[in-house]
Amino acid sequence: MDAILTYVVNVISLGGTYALLALGLAVVFSVLRLINFAHGELMTLAGYTLLAGIVLGVPFWAAVIAAVVVGGIAAVIMETTAFRPVRNANPATLLMTSFAVAMLLQVIFQNFISARGQAVPVPSMFTGSIPIGNAQISIIQAISIVASLASLIVLKLFFDRSRWGWAIRAAADDFETVRLMGYRASRLIAVAFLISGLLAGIAGVLWVMQRGSVDPLMGLKPVLAAFVVVVIGGLGSLPGAVIGGYILAGIEIALQTWLPESFIPYRDALTFVLVVVVLSLFPNGLFGKRIAEKV
Amino acid sequence: MISNRQRRFAGIFAASAAAALVLAACGSSDSADSGDSGGGDGEACTVKVGVATGQTGGLAYVDVPSLEGFDLWKDEVNAAGGIDGKFQVETIVKDTRSDAAQSATVAAELLGEGISFLITPGDADPSIAAGQLAQEAQVPAMSWFGSAPILPAAVGDFMFSNAFGDNSQARVLADYATEQGYTTAYTLGSPDSAYTSNLPKYFAVAFQDNGGTIVGEGTYTMGQPNFNVIADQIKALNPQPDVIMTPAYEPDFPTFLKSIRGAGINIPVLGTDGIDSPTTLALGPIADGVVYTTAGVLAPEGPQAEYFEKFNAKYGKDPEAIFAVTGYELGLILNAAVTQAQSCDPVAIKDAITNLEGVQGITGKIGFKGGDRMAIREIALIKVVNGQRELIALVAPDPTRVPAA
Repeated sequence: MDAILTYVVNVISLGGTYALLALGLAVVFSVLRLINFAHGELMTLAGYTLLAGIVLGVPFWAAVIAAVVVGGIAAVIMETTAFRPVRNANPATLLMTSFAVAMLLQVIFQNFISARGQAVPVPSMFTGSIPIGNAQISIIQAISIVASLASLIVLKLFFDRSRWGWAIRAAADDFETVRLMGYRASRLIAVAFLISGLLAGIAGVLWVMQRGSVDPLMGLKPVLAAFVVVVIGGLGSLPGAVIGGYILAGIEIALQTWLPESFIPYRDALTFVLVVVVLSLFPNGLFGKRIAEKV
Repeated sequence: MISNRQRRFAGIFAASAAAALVLAACGSSDSADSGDSGGGDGEACTVKVGVATGQTGGLAYVDVPSLEGFDLWKDEVNAAGGIDGKFQVETIVKDTRSDAAQSATVAAELLGEGISFLITPGDADPSIAAGQLAQEAQVPAMSWFGSAPILPAAVGDFMFSNAFGDNSQARVLADYATEQGYTTAYTLGSPDSAYTSNLPKYFAVAFQDNGGTIVGEGTYTMGQPNFNVIADQIKALNPQPDVIMTPAYEPDFPTFLKSIRGAGINIPVLGTDGIDSPTTLALGPIADGVVYTTAGVLAPEGPQAEYFEKFNAKYGKDPEAIFAVTGYELGLILNAAVTQAQSCDPVAIKDAITNLEGVQGITGKIGFKGGDRMAIREIALIKVVNGQRELIALVAPDPTRVPAA
C-alpha cells in the first residue's frame, strides 16, 4: 500500500512539472504551429534568475516571482526578435530558428555565466519531509505538487473565462478565423509566448528546487520530455498536454520502481517503446485531431 | 520540375549543410601554421599540440579549466624560450562540443595539421573516439583527466591519461569506508558512461575484498529529474547500509543528495573526483560530511599559493576546480617528455612519456613508468566541512590491491 502511495505521489509531482512544460509548448504550437525547442532555455534562464536573487540576498519568494516573470518576458522577447521575422516561413524554418535560439542561449549561458553548473542554495526550510500515513513526501515534492496543480487550475480559469484564453483555444482549431474575428495575430502570438514563458519559469523553479543546481544545458532533457508529452497528448491539444504529462511520468516512475535490475539499462528505451505503442493506437496522440493537409 | 515539397526539402538540406559548415569552421588556433613540428636529435623545433576539447557542452566543467591551466603553462614555457630553452609550444584548440563523434572529427582535423601531441577531453568515451585516430597516426594522445582505466587499453600504446584510474580511487574509498567501521554499503551507478558504470563495480570489489557487504545497487539515468524513487528504495533496505557510494557528478549528484536528505536519509555518502567543484561546496548543510577522492586539495595557501597568484595574474580569478591545476600539470608532463626526447617527433615523445617517473607536479609527483598508461599519482581524500574542502589523507594506493580494470 505504501509503495502505491509513494508511486502516486511521485507521479503527481513529476507529472505536474511535465504538464506545465508541455502546456508551454502546446500553447505556442496552437497559435504558431511551432514546437519551440528553446523552451528549455527559458527554464534555464528562470533558474539563473532564481540563483541571482538568492545570491543578491533577495527574499526567496521574491526571487521565485522574479524567475517566473523573467521567463515570461524572455519568451516575449524571443518571439519578437527571433520568431516574428520568420513567422510566415514554412514550419521547417521556424523549427530551425528555435534550435538556433536554443543553441545561442546555451552558448551565452556558458560564456557569460559559466560552463559549470551552479549550486542553487534553496532555504533549509525546504529540506525535509512530511509524513503521510506510513509513507513520507519530501517538502520540495509537496511544493511541486501544489504549485503545478495551482498553475494548472489558474490556467484552466484563464482559458475558460478570459477573452484571450478563448482566443488561444480557438486559434488552436482555426487561427485564420480568430484573426477574422478581430484579434491581431501579433498580439495573440505574443500572449501565447508570455503564457508559455511564465509556465517555463514556474517549471524551471520547480526543476531547480528539486535538482539543487542550474547549468547551461539544464533545459535540454525536460524540453525533450515535454515534446514527447505533447506528441502523446496530441499536437495542439491543451488538455492532452496535461494528461500526457501525467502519463509519461506514470510510465517513467513505474519503470524506475518495478523494472527488474537487469532491465534497468533499457529503461529509457522501454519508455519510448510504450510511447510508440500509444502512438500506434492513437496516431494523432490521445486528444489530437487529424490535421488535413492543404493541397 | 521541382515541387513545393522538394523545394522545402532542399531548403532544409541547404540550411542544415550551412549550419554544419559554420560549426565545423568553429575553433581557433593561437597562431597560423608556423614552425616545424618535425625536428629531432636536439634541434630546436616547435611542438604543435592539438587540443580537441569540450569548450561547450557537458564536459566543459573539466575541459575549460584544464585548458586554462595548460595555457598558463604554455605562456610560461614559451616566455622562457620554450621547453628546455629551445622547443616552443604552439596549440591549436578546437571545440568538440563534448560529443564523441565531434571529438573524432576534430581529432582528424588536428592530426591533419601535423601535430606532435593530442590532448583529448576529460572523459573516456570521446577520448577513445579521438585517441583511436591518434593511435593510427602514431601520435601520442593524453586525456585531460579521463579516469576510466579501460581508456588506454581500448585505444593502444599511444593513449595516456593524466588521471589516476577509477579502480585506484575506488580502492582508496573502500579502504576509507572500512577504516570508518562501515561493513555494509549501497552503490548507485549509471550505465550512461564508463565512469558512472564501472566505479561502483570497482568499489564493490574492493569493499568486499575488505570484508564488507553490498546490500543494494541502484541505477540512474544521467539527467533524470529527481531521485525520489531511489530514495524510497534505499529507505526500504533492511538492514540499512552503513554508507552510500556513488560516482554521480553534477547535475546528478546535487539532485541525488537533495532527494535522499529530503527523504530523511542521513547515511554518509562517498563520492568521486567528478564532484570536486564549487557546486558541491555550495550545496549547504546537505553536503556536509560528504567524502570524496580527487587529485588534490584546491587551496590558495600552501603549495598552491604561487599557482593561485599566477592564475590570478592571467585570468583575474581564482581557479575554480582542481582541473585548472591538473591541466597545468599535463603541461609539465609534456615538458618532461620533450626534454627527455629532445625532439618534436611524436613517436619519440610517446616513448618518453611511457618512461616518465617522478615528474614534480603541483599536487605531487606524477609518472607513467611501469603503469598501464594511466598517470601514477597520489589520490587526495577530501571531506566537505561547512562548505570547505578538508584534506583527510593523501594516498598512494598499493597497485597489487587495486581492482582489475
